[in-house]
Amino acid sequence: FAILATSSLAHANTYATANLEPLAVSAASFYSSNPQEMTITGTVVGKDNQPVIGAAIQVKGTSRGVIADEKGAFSIKAKVNDVLMISSIGYAAQEVTVVAGKTTYNIVLDNSNSTLDEVVVTGYSSQKVKDLTGAVAVVSVDQMKRQPVASPTEALQGKATGVQIVTDGAPGATPIIRIRGYSTINNNDPLYVIDGVPYEGKLSWLNSADIETMQILKDASAASIYGSRANNGVVIITTKRGKPGQARVNLDMYYGSQNPVRSRFPDMMNPTQYANYLFDAFRNTGDPAKAPGQEATTGTNYGLDPNNPTLPEYLLAGSATGQNVTAADADPSKYNYTPKNSQTFYQITKANQKGTNWFDEMTQNAPIQSYQLGINGGDENAVYSISGGYFDQEGIAKYTGYSRYNIRSNTRFSFWNNRFRIGENMTYSYEEFYGSGVNNNTPGDYIGEGSPFGFAYRIPTIIPVYDIMGNFAGSKGDKLGNGQNPVAMLYRAKDNKNTRNFFFGNAYAELDIIDGLTARTSFGMRYENYGGVSFTYPNLEFSEGGTQDGMSEYQGYNKEWTWTNTLNYKYEKGDHSLNILGGIEAINQKSRYLSAGRNGYFILGNLDYYYLDAGSGNISNTSNGGVSSLFSVFGKVDYSFMDRYLVSATLRRDGSSNFGPENKYANFPAASVAWRISKESFMQDVSWLTDLKLRAGYGITGNQRIPNFQYLRRHQTTIARANYPIVDGKALSSGFWVSDYDNPAIKWEQLKSTNIGLDFTIANGSFDGTLDWYNRKTTDMLFKVPLPAAAVGMGNSPYQNVGTMKNTGFEIALNYHYGFADNKAFQFDLGANFSRNINTVEALAPSVTQQTYGNFRSLTTTILKPGSPFGAFYGYQTAGIYQNADDVANSPSYEGARVGGLKYKDISGPDGKPDGVITPDDRTVIGSPHPDFLYSLNINARYKNFDLSMFFNGVQGNQIFEATRYYTDFGSFDGAASTRMLKAFSATNPSNTTPAPIRTSNDYEYASSSYYIQDGSYLRLKNIQIGYTFPTEKWLGGRIKNLRAYFTATNVFTITNYTGIDPEVTQTPSDYPALGVDFGVYPLSRQFLFGISAGF
Amino acid sequence: CSRSFLEKTPQGQLVTDQMQTVEGCEATLIGAYGLLNGNLDGTWGNYASAPSQWLFGEVGADNAHKGSVNSDQPNMNQIELHQVTSTNDNLEVMWTRCYEGIARCNTTLFLLNAVQNGSGAKFTAERAKEVEAEARFLRGHYYFFLRRLFKNVPYIDENTSTTEAITKSNEGDVYPMIEADFKFAVDNLPATHPQGDIGRPDNIAAKAYLGKVLLYLNRQSEALPLFNDVIASRPSIETLDFDDNFKIATENGPESIFAVQHTINPDGSGDNANVGDMLAGFYGSAPVNCCGFFQPTFDLVNSFRVDANGLPFLDNSYRTNPYKSDFGLTGTAKENYALNQTIAFDPRLDYTVGRRGVPYKDWGVMPGDAWIRDPSYAGPFVAGKHTIFETEFAANSVSGANYVTGLNVNIIRLADVYLMAAECAADANDLDEAKRLVNLIRERASHLPGVSVNGSPAAAYNVGQYTDFPTKEYAMNAIHFERRLELALEGHRYFDLVRWGIAKQVIESYSAFEGSILSSFLGITFDASDEVMPIPQTQIDRSGGGLKQN
Repeated sequence: FAILATSSLAHANTYATANLEPLAVSAASFYSSNPQEMTITGTVVGKDNQPVIGAAIQVKGTSRGVIADEKGAFSIKAKVNDVLMISSIGYAAQEVTVVAGKTTYNIVLDNSNSTLDEVVVTGYSSQKVKDLTGAVAVVSVDQMKRQPVASPTEALQGKATGVQIVTDGAPGATPIIRIRGYSTINNNDPLYVIDGVPYEGKLSWLNSADIETMQILKDASAASIYGSRANNGVVIITTKRGKPGQARVNLDMYYGSQNPVRSRFPDMMNPTQYANYLFDAFRNTGDPAKAPGQEATTGTNYGLDPNNPTLPEYLLAGSATGQNVTAADADPSKYNYTPKNSQTFYQITKANQKGTNWFDEMTQNAPIQSYQLGINGGDENAVYSISGGYFDQEGIAKYTGYSRYNIRSNTRFSFWNNRFRIGENMTYSYEEFYGSGVNNNTPGDYIGEGSPFGFAYRIPTIIPVYDIMGNFAGSKGDKLGNGQNPVAMLYRAKDNKNTRNFFFGNAYAELDIIDGLTARTSFGMRYENYGGVSFTYPNLEFSEGGTQDGMSEYQGYNKEWTWTNTLNYKYEKGDHSLNILGGIEAINQKSRYLSAGRNGYFILGNLDYYYLDAGSGNISNTSNGGVSSLFSVFGKVDYSFMDRYLVSATLRRDGSSNFGPENKYANFPAASVAWRISKESFMQDVSWLTDLKLRAGYGITGNQRIPNFQYLRRHQTTIARANYPIVDGKALSSGFWVSDYDNPAIKWEQLKSTNIGLDFTIANGSFDGTLDWYNRKTTDMLFKVPLPAAAVGMGNSPYQNVGTMKNTGFEIALNYHYGFADNKAFQFDLGANFSRNINTVEALAPSVTQQTYGNFRSLTTTILKPGSPFGAFYGYQTAGIYQNADDVANSPSYEGARVGGLKYKDISGPDGKPDGVITPDDRTVIGSPHPDFLYSLNINARYKNFDLSMFFNGVQGNQIFEATRYYTDFGSFDGAASTRMLKAFSATNPSNTTPAPIRTSNDYEYASSSYYIQDGSYLRLKNIQIGYTFPTEKWLGGRIKNLRAYFTATNVFTITNYTGIDPEVTQTPSDYPALGVDFGVYPLSRQFLFGISAGF
Repeated sequence: CSRSFLEKTPQGQLVTDQMQTVEGCEATLIGAYGLLNGNLDGTWGNYASAPSQWLFGEVGADNAHKGSVNSDQPNMNQIELHQVTSTNDNLEVMWTRCYEGIARCNTTLFLLNAVQNGSGAKFTAERAKEVEAEARFLRGHYYFFLRRLFKNVPYIDENTSTTEAITKSNEGDVYPMIEADFKFAVDNLPATHPQGDIGRPDNIAAKAYLGKVLLYLNRQSEALPLFNDVIASRPSIETLDFDDNFKIATENGPESIFAVQHTINPDGSGDNANVGDMLAGFYGSAPVNCCGFFQPTFDLVNSFRVDANGLPFLDNSYRTNPYKSDFGLTGTAKENYALNQTIAFDPRLDYTVGRRGVPYKDWGVMPGDAWIRDPSYAGPFVAGKHTIFETEFAANSVSGANYVTGLNVNIIRLADVYLMAAECAADANDLDEAKRLVNLIRERASHLPGVSVNGSPAAAYNVGQYTDFPTKEYAMNAIHFERRLELALEGHRYFDLVRWGIAKQVIESYSAFEGSILSSFLGITFDASDEVMPIPQTQIDRSGGGLKQN
């Protein structure tokens, strides 16, 4: 096991990567037979005299090459004076000139820190890192795999500059990934290219263990070869390939526990504190009619003494509540739990006078485990890699979880002396999400207001989890609000299940037509079949509960094929190196979805009984589908002169079914240059400088990710939306309505980006780094401009090309490596990343001055406004608390302003000027969800057989809209109250930050304001791992090739001022995503696990 | 790759070319009716656009409270307390539903024109006129709902392009266009329901609606002949049963002039049912188990009290020593509360309001607080005109959500027309005619059987006839009062008060009375600006400067 540099590729044998092989390896002997040619043989070993398996041996200036076998041996044809280039990852490349009379060459490669000779895939072709001219982040896959997560995207956090990952703790969660900020108000997800096949969507189906390399194309000059879909960056993934040699078996497994970070759970008042708080809230109305201690005000729970609330013994017995419950009412023989009959339902619930900690009750320590088995091997004509895995994660929220089974097979066969190659990459995975909010592909159910975590903020602490007979207790009772018992919700959703069968793969063929010219065809297929069931149960313990029961079921599929054909010509002679690529690509997609449901099942909770036919009412069913296609022609030219001056240009022309005849096609050009200064003669004396390269690039990418058919006006009939019982008032007649309005001129969104970068390597690779500056401007933004109802009624407004958004920023990555080149006993790496991005919405549609969204009850959290960042928070700016009557009278105030209430700044009025009164005109931008910068720090160390790695991740300067305060901080809502409110303003505590409780609600007080805005910065020790590699050389006769055991802790600690449960707040789906609005997130857990990896 | 590879067809939808047929136009017209229930789809969230207009028309006046608990739907409190701001979501709901209805009418008219001028099969000239008249009737209805609430609304018709519509100004009155649409409907709708379909308005419905619009324009003399035509076309009101208007079994009866047809979908769901009133489903142990909104006020209940002659207390003296049901009682006094059956009430009370001790439909005796969410907030009463009989639940409500029912809501019913005609007559100083019409309404009320408790009447029911309307002012006052009693909780009250110019005086006086019992409603002030609602802020923001705030 080796610890590699942050930006290096673990185990990457670049010469075995399918779609770059034609460039690098091809046996040319058969058509250039030359009498002087001879067979050269030899071995390649490292300084430790171990064979370098898979080292590449190439005849310079040709594409002729072979790979060293498992003994490091090779055999290749060459002429006298030919130069052999020998290279392998982790070693310094070497050149050997063939001399007359010598046919055996034993080569010893030096270890190298430098990653410059790594070959990375950058879009239909591959390049050495040193030849890159665009902004490409090469991810350390090895580092990434240290984090035990379901989705490879989650583990990307902090691993590359300019990439922001926001995740939550739900099992199998699909995190948000943003490359260089938000480029559009639409979908900002990147394009994935997996083994050459483009893929848009979530990645939970892909097993991290199967990933061999991952590159992120960040700027247009790198990404524009993917043209119309590259605006949000491109993530290129290759999966593990076979290597020649005996079959090698690898086993990786871990098992661990995920523990909720209980110290971060919100503190709610206990029932006594709450009762006093409630009494204060009524007292503060100043209205004798609203004095506390009356049934009409504080209700039956806390007694009738206006000064001293007392706690009840019971909350509910039948229809009697609180302290009105008599011994006769609470007679257990009256208890009657009839979930489907509200009239006979008789529940008896005791008060939990100590208070229920709902967050504790709904969470658990949960196991996580993973087992992966892989086999790979082959010979020079056929290689294979097969793997299988099982991953299982229970949620820290009870009764939730995720599991995945996956298998993968990659094979490659070569014929005609390696001139013709065919192969395939295939993955099949089966995933199961279960419990509340099972479908994590669409966040919303498992986080947010209606989720169990959302309700944990709302349900009073005086309510126990269970009633006297062990059934769920709830908010039914007197003035207990309308929170749901989150444990009941989780329990009742335990059988909800979402399953997904996912097939993804491609088959390809490559032919070397003449020396340097290779044709390749690849046919890729994605087929996804998903389905699920969910159940509804009566919940009469809930104040707004009902007797409905039901089951609904759904099924759907997505089918997409991608056919790519490329022709690549590679020419090297003297100081010139040229690579030309041309290709065409066609993509066709189709999806279909079916769902149905019924309610009224004869018995409840019996899964064997729940089929649609058994339901009696609310018979619903629906189906829908989609089709789309994309056709592209593209080309790329890379030229380098003297290894010093590098030029690259790409052009892609895309046609999409998403656009009408007016704008079906668009062109996406890009160009970049690089100057390797260190190769200049005047730099040759600077011995400490190994490599220095200046890069600049400019390009245009596109975005077409909008719903289909925006260019057509569409009419729709559905029973729900357009039917009417015209004939007799009973039977429905079918009607039509215009569901979607059209914009025939709809066209491609464009992103113009400039990137300037500097790469350097110092002291033979001990120190390296990358600096990048960029400016990305999105124009003709695809914006679903919300049209006024006068124009479109309630139909969908069409997307329009309006508005511009800008992202500028810079990124710094620095790495230090110690002890690798000379293979010291103590080795370590240090890596630091820093990224800053500034996002600005520069313009919206002419008809839209601003667009508020993120509506949540009476809150509107977010705004789109020119000059502000995307997703800026919007509301009143607080100016303290009204301290006394004079303060109210002499300060700008709103209707109903009071002493002890929030005071706002007078910012504007109907004429755009401050007018002395607070009205909705005074709302303004009050915060931004975007961080000032992201940073991370990686430390890897090894001493002899021990290794240690630590990874810190930080986000600085962003804000979070802590929307849960709507419930917990304003007395208007019956429910739970935050202990924050114990420090509320009062006559004796003139707080200037925390408003005094009051029961007469005035919506100005709990409207969106800077009171909700909290600092979201954090620094997290994301991961720490300690490993030990056993000296297995002599075990079982060397049959165990390697064996390593490790211990990992994840999310070890977090330093933050954020008062919510977790500073990682994902986006809330809305008309446009509402970023950083915390309605109750599924928090990340702390994980401890033990793992073993072994090779045989 | 051929060119057609990039040409795909929408899935499950049709494009406009495919709709330009007789059938496409007819189906679009059905769609235009489809918005009458104020709902695009789903059930929750369509409260403000309810055809009953309970929120603006009743909660916004002196007849009803929002109900539930204070913190539930706080934006509705603003409507009740007349503190509405432009960001109140109920405004947006009302506005968007009405404009969707208008868009469908306009699409129908656009398609009609395309079909009649196209090369394919055409409508008969007669049906073409009818289709146009139906679409314009509906458009008139949607615009009327908008106009009386928001006053300044942009006018979009079938000739307005989408681009123009975006920035269309809301300056200028839309009443002339509303009038023109109803006039066209009067001239072109047949005497019987077009196509024989009960949901389509006939000529009588058009006359009634045109008359109503003219009354809102204070053109009583033009409205009266229209009302007289309507009255002449139907049986005399005293022969009809008051309660038939609020029962599934008798809906679409002779008193129904124009009604929104509500029904339960074949799959049992409620999108086409009366979703606007669903929050008014009772709370607690009532058989519908819902949300507890829309509670009648003490003021409304007491206004049903009558004097020895069976006449209402026109001077508001019904507020003296008011009847409060079991409100304010505690402990055993509350437990042992017995209904006072000696109070003299108009019998319409117990068909309009549910109160403790009185049988409510076939649901059993109304138990008081057990059906109410927070009696200390909004009083002890429940509403009675929007619910259905328990025996009708199975076929006419959503299973498990029986507060969503198939009960129609009358937009105009015959009694409304009688009382509007009475206003017109009184305005023309024909006080005898006004009295005759009011007395017919009262005569019908007197036929209403009282509700019995254990074999004896729940109240000392009495409805008397006016012997004299001595002055025009007296007549108007009596008509106003009768309109309140007869049409209580049917969504007219706020609009009538504003139309009569007495909203400030009535609501502030009501607040002083009601607030003396329920403190939440004390001190309501009603300003001239409260006579119209603000234009929804979101709509202004989207209009590129086209819309101006009221």
